Amino acid sequence: MPHTTTVHTTTVQIIDDDSLDAASLAQACQRNLDWVQARVVDGVLTPSTGTRNPDAVTSWRFAATCIVRARRVAMLEHTYDADPQLAALTVDLMEEVLELRRRLQR
Amino acid sequence: MDSKNYYEVLGVDKKASADEIKKAFRKLARKYHPDLSKEKDAQQRMAAVNEANAVLSDAEKRAEYDAMLDAPRGFASGAGNPFRGAEGFDSGDFQFRRQSMGGDADYSDFFRQMFGDAARGQRGGRAGGPRAAMRGEDQHASIELDLTDSYRGSERMLTLHGQEITDEGEVRSQERQLQVKIPAGVREGQMIRLAGQGGPGYQGGPAGDLLLEVHFRADKRWRAEGKDVYMPMAVSPWEAALGGSAEVHTPAGTLEVRIPAGWSAGRKLRIKGKGLPAATPGDLYLELQLHIPPATTEEERAAYTAFAQAFPQFQPRQGA
Repeated sequence: MPHTTTVHTTTVQIIDDDSLDAASLAQACQRNLDWVQARVVDGVLTPSTGTRNPDAVTSWRFAATCIVRARRVAMLEHTYDADPQLAALTVDLMEEVLELRRRLQR
Repeated sequence: MDSKNYYEVLGVDKKASADEIKKAFRKLARKYHPDLSKEKDAQQRMAAVNEANAVLSDAEKRAEYDAMLDAPRGFASGAGNPFRGAEGFDSGDFQFRRQSMGGDADYSDFFRQMFGDAARGQRGGRAGGPRAAMRGEDQHASIELDLTDSYRGSERMLTLHGQEITDEGEVRSQERQLQVKIPAGVREGQMIRLAGQGGPGYQGGPAGDLLLEVHFRADKRWRAEGKDVYMPMAVSPWEAALGGSAEVHTPAGTLEVRIPAGWSAGRKLRIKGKGLPAATPGDLYLELQLHIPPATTEEERAAYTAFAQAFPQFQPRQGA
């Protein structure tokens, strides 16, 4: 029998546009900061603020949607030992398909 | 849930080579990819496939697992069933999809009991290091809301099946109920962070967070694009030509709308500040759609004829 606990959550936080730093993004996609840094420099991930200069890593901020993208890229790299650019290309196509599906639903 | 062992999950023989295991894993990862698979239990199957691969693709873990399979007593205890107590979420009155990434927190009780912190070293090279306090992993899921929930805010009760680590270091099944207040103004693609509701921490480390990706349920009546909301609004030919006022049921409530005279295809009416709530709220766009009444009676046909006679110069296909 599982142990049951009822928790009333009060700590709900909206991750809004530009509110996520590189370390939080790395944590959210189960990778380290170097991984995020390399993906930004290579153009796989795009911060909403700041340049792609790796020295500016502390100033980078990411939109919440970037978590989903980063996780997809990380999953493809992990599953298929995929080159980051190939994983990014696949994710670009997935995002395109999702957008077209959304439009079809309208 | 099935009670297959890891070899059965990947559909390979117990004597399968590392290459065969890799091929089988990749094939199944494609089949059950959470963004593409149409199968209802794709999330759970993907988690199971990830877990099986995590064990069978690692020579040390595989040997340990094989030894356990060969020990009937251990298997009879139920420890050989990797799906017993698999983690997941119960849906309430909304869709709640689990997104497995193959992380430690995604694995079953069995996996964590058998391999413990070793799983954490898979991608970060942390296995075998000092067993310092570590934060638990973030967990991800998506939550589907109605657009109207974003206008008013809403409350949801989520039931999570997971594990907790006792003071003795044992993994124990746990069922948690979370009452979540969804604040007004949430938007498509945003993340809701439930601090400390993710995977349990290690060696006294804090728990990770639960991140819920917000999606709006498809609704023919309206849709959101960022903070702005769009909805079709039917107008009659005389409203389109002469203007008028109309009562419209919008997600922001019932509004009295003035329709300006003059029609052009694709015309939208913008109602400032009636989009999704925010410090600067979005706008509501009413996309005017011309609805032509059918001419079924003699009077109606006569009205259309008179209408045509009133516009002898009108050429709808001019330039087409």
